[in-house]
Amino acid sequence: MVQYNFKKITVVPKANDFVDIILSRTQRQTPTVVHKGYAISRLRQFYMRKVKYTQQNFHDKLSTIIDEFPRLDDIHPFYGDLLHVLYNKDHYKLALGAVNTARNQIGKVAKDYVKLLKYGDSLYRCKSLKVAALGRMCTLIKKLSGSLAYLEQIRQHMARLPSIDPNTRTILICGYPNVGKSSFINKITRADVDVQPYAFTTKSLFVGHTDYKYLRYQVIDTPGILDRPFEDRNIIEMCSITALAHLRSAVLFFLDISGSCGYSIAQQAALFHSIKSLFMNKPLMIVCNKTDLQPLEGLSEEDMKLVMEMKAEAMKTVIGQGGEATNDEGVLLTMSTLTEDGVIAVKNAACERLLNQRVEIKMKSKKINDCLNRFHVAIPKPRDQKERPPCIPQAVLEARAQQAAENEKRKTEKDLEDENGGAGVYSASLKKNYILANEEWKEDILPEILDGHNVADFIDPDILMRLEELEREEGMREATDDDNFEMDGEDLTPEEQEALAEIRKKKSMLIQQHRVKKSTAESRPTVPRKFDKRREFTSKRMGRQLSSLGLDPSLAIERARSRSRGRKRERSPERGDAMDVDMDQSNKKLRTRSTSRSRSVSRAPAEFVPGAGFKDSDQKAKAIKLAKKSVKKRNKNARRGEADRVIPTLKPKHLFSGKRSIGKNQRR
Amino acid sequence: MPQGDYIDRHRKLHGYRHDHFERKRKKEAREVHKRSAMAQKALGIKGKIFAKKRYAEKALMKKTLAMHEESSSRRKVDDDVHEGAVPAYLLDRETTTRAKVLSNTIKQKRKEKAGKWEVPLPKVRPVAEDEMFKVLRSGKRKTKQWKRMVTKATFVGPGFTRKPPKYERFIRPTGLRFNKAHVTHPELKCTFNLEIIGVKKNPNGPMYTSLGVLTKGTIIEVNVSELGLVTPAGKVVWGKYAQVTNNPENDGCVNAVLLV
Repeated sequence: MVQYNFKKITVVPKANDFVDIILSRTQRQTPTVVHKGYAISRLRQFYMRKVKYTQQNFHDKLSTIIDEFPRLDDIHPFYGDLLHVLYNKDHYKLALGAVNTARNQIGKVAKDYVKLLKYGDSLYRCKSLKVAALGRMCTLIKKLSGSLAYLEQIRQHMARLPSIDPNTRTILICGYPNVGKSSFINKITRADVDVQPYAFTTKSLFVGHTDYKYLRYQVIDTPGILDRPFEDRNIIEMCSITALAHLRSAVLFFLDISGSCGYSIAQQAALFHSIKSLFMNKPLMIVCNKTDLQPLEGLSEEDMKLVMEMKAEAMKTVIGQGGEATNDEGVLLTMSTLTEDGVIAVKNAACERLLNQRVEIKMKSKKINDCLNRFHVAIPKPRDQKERPPCIPQAVLEARAQQAAENEKRKTEKDLEDENGGAGVYSASLKKNYILANEEWKEDILPEILDGHNVADFIDPDILMRLEELEREEGMREATDDDNFEMDGEDLTPEEQEALAEIRKKKSMLIQQHRVKKSTAESRPTVPRKFDKRREFTSKRMGRQLSSLGLDPSLAIERARSRSRGRKRERSPERGDAMDVDMDQSNKKLRTRSTSRSRSVSRAPAEFVPGAGFKDSDQKAKAIKLAKKSVKKRNKNARRGEADRVIPTLKPKHLFSGKRSIGKNQRR
Repeated sequence: MPQGDYIDRHRKLHGYRHDHFERKRKKEAREVHKRSAMAQKALGIKGKIFAKKRYAEKALMKKTLAMHEESSSRRKVDDDVHEGAVPAYLLDRETTTRAKVLSNTIKQKRKEKAGKWEVPLPKVRPVAEDEMFKVLRSGKRKTKQWKRMVTKATFVGPGFTRKPPKYERFIRPTGLRFNKAHVTHPELKCTFNLEIIGVKKNPNGPMYTSLGVLTKGTIIEVNVSELGLVTPAGKVVWGKYAQVTNNPENDGCVNAVLLV
């Protein structure tokens, strides 16, 4: 079966976009590199390919447009007419025709230019011809812009048409505007049609689905129809007329018997009679709506007569389908969509009649014989008078009973709510699921404030213990605080204050110096004079500093200054005066003998763990020693070594600027 | 609202996103900056196209602005004296314009004489012979080189039959034959696709004229009966001259200007 789904039509681009799409595709999908020196046949082929490729793409794109848009003559007449009503058949055909012409013309242009390209004798000429060819194709598309825009709009609109299946079971609702058609469809389906108290709220067809006897029914809500000549009807009304004319369905003609829609019963009856021809061969029902305002029995004599006339007309459809003339139930129905009186009855009646009619039609058709002779329903005849009930084992019966018991529903909160007065009246008890030591405590009332205290504060069971702990801690802290005192400037003697100021000044100076040192590269170990330009590291200065600290600088100076080695005799340890310990000459033996307290020893060299390619720790130690030695001189001269931090220039200027005589930047 | 209009429906039910309008406004405000950035960044053909588009937009904007300004601003009535205006006291005098007429006719005649070949394209690039012709080798050993093939577009009359190959010195390939031209009427400013009747003159030489080669600057005769031009005597003009304005072999079509 043909499915009518207009959602799958591909987007029709605007003329400019169309050209862009195609040309960029040509650019991307065909080779781009060509040189003058190529053989002429290769050049020709290169450009011919471009022209042909472009044409092919245009052709494909335009063909998809032509193929995907439905042909109004080929689709179901309902859709054909609907599209005609909405978009005007002539205009639609012209637009598609223009697309088709453009496609042919593009083909012709391509053919011409490929022919000319065969005579191209230079790159320039071939290129000019290609440019001209593509240009002409694009011009053709640009001329098509109006049609393309129109088709795109139609496509968008078509995709949003309700998906009505013209061949399925359909219930069609029609009538004057504002008689309650949309309210009805909202009641029986989930279509969610907009309902407003003014005429022509529904401006197009709406579809909903409902179930009856396990079958799905399509319910179509149509816009209201006015009673006027066919030519004067507008697009909105024509939608309903098309649906009425072409869909095989059950028709519900809605009648507002209260007249609150603004039209009298007489007017509605006139409409009924004027469009009566559209109800031929369809199950027709007159539905009197708004009985809450005006019951059917309370109608005046004349109105009743009109209604009965319509009923008589509707009866003809029943007779026409082979029904009995006396069977008038399900022809004239009353309901009120406001109070939902009779809504379901109307739906059921409509479905029933539609189903009957469809079954009848099927039974009449030729195909049914093919099916029927395959059917055979066997009904066994009773052999004797003996009763033969089904045998169900006891275990199964028990299991079923158990199952039933299990299925007994637990009472939910929702049920409770419904029992006790519904939402807003019933308030769920939060306490009933408490898990407490004693079941009786559940309903106890717990005060929030008791004796001026917040009860919640005392809920913690071990709060007292914690308090005690805190207090203990506090006491301990207070005890220690007694020993500490803050050095304060107030209770010092002037001399002390002065000293303090001195110390602080010194401290800040030291910090400053340290910072200066740190910021410059002044933290190097020993600085030869050559690099000590400012004479900062003189022994004289060191002496001054040491003496200011209250130390005797002479020893340090002696040690720091370089001296000639002196004669051998002088170097050798003096044996003479063993007691002269305080002399500045050092004597190891003497010292070891004389000192009683143990000397502080510099840390022992760390054990070298072999590894990193070394055989044993000796080898490693040696290597480290060598490495140290190799950098010693460099360090001493304050030269840069490989361990120094380096910030490399990532883009050296000289490599990236200026003109080159030959080569490129990266070749430098 | 039709049933399938899900966007409208959603908006009706839930409204816009809380910052929808804010975002929209910002997007619009940023758009200019984006465009200007693009204008500065785009290179090559893209840049050119972009600049052209932008220029057109700006020109249009300025025009519309000027139009609005014009309608609102006051202007002085222009006090320039029109040509031929006469003071009131001379109005009743008869003026003789005969002398003027005479000189006009003389001028006209001179112009016609001088401008017999005054055409839209007075000068064209000369086309060398080796550009115009391609040498074809013939003979069993392909040693003979007396045959020529025209590499430009040509016009060949309707009743033309090729000579036998032995005598055919110049070959005019069928792929390069044209018998229609897009002719622009310079005064009407519109273009017609007219049939070519013949080649009147090719500026490169009489031989090309006789061969019917169509190059830029060639004077061709076209069939203008469709246009419905009429001579002063009232006869319908049939043929008229036109000058080719493009290189047909490069463009794949013949464009010409009607000589009026």
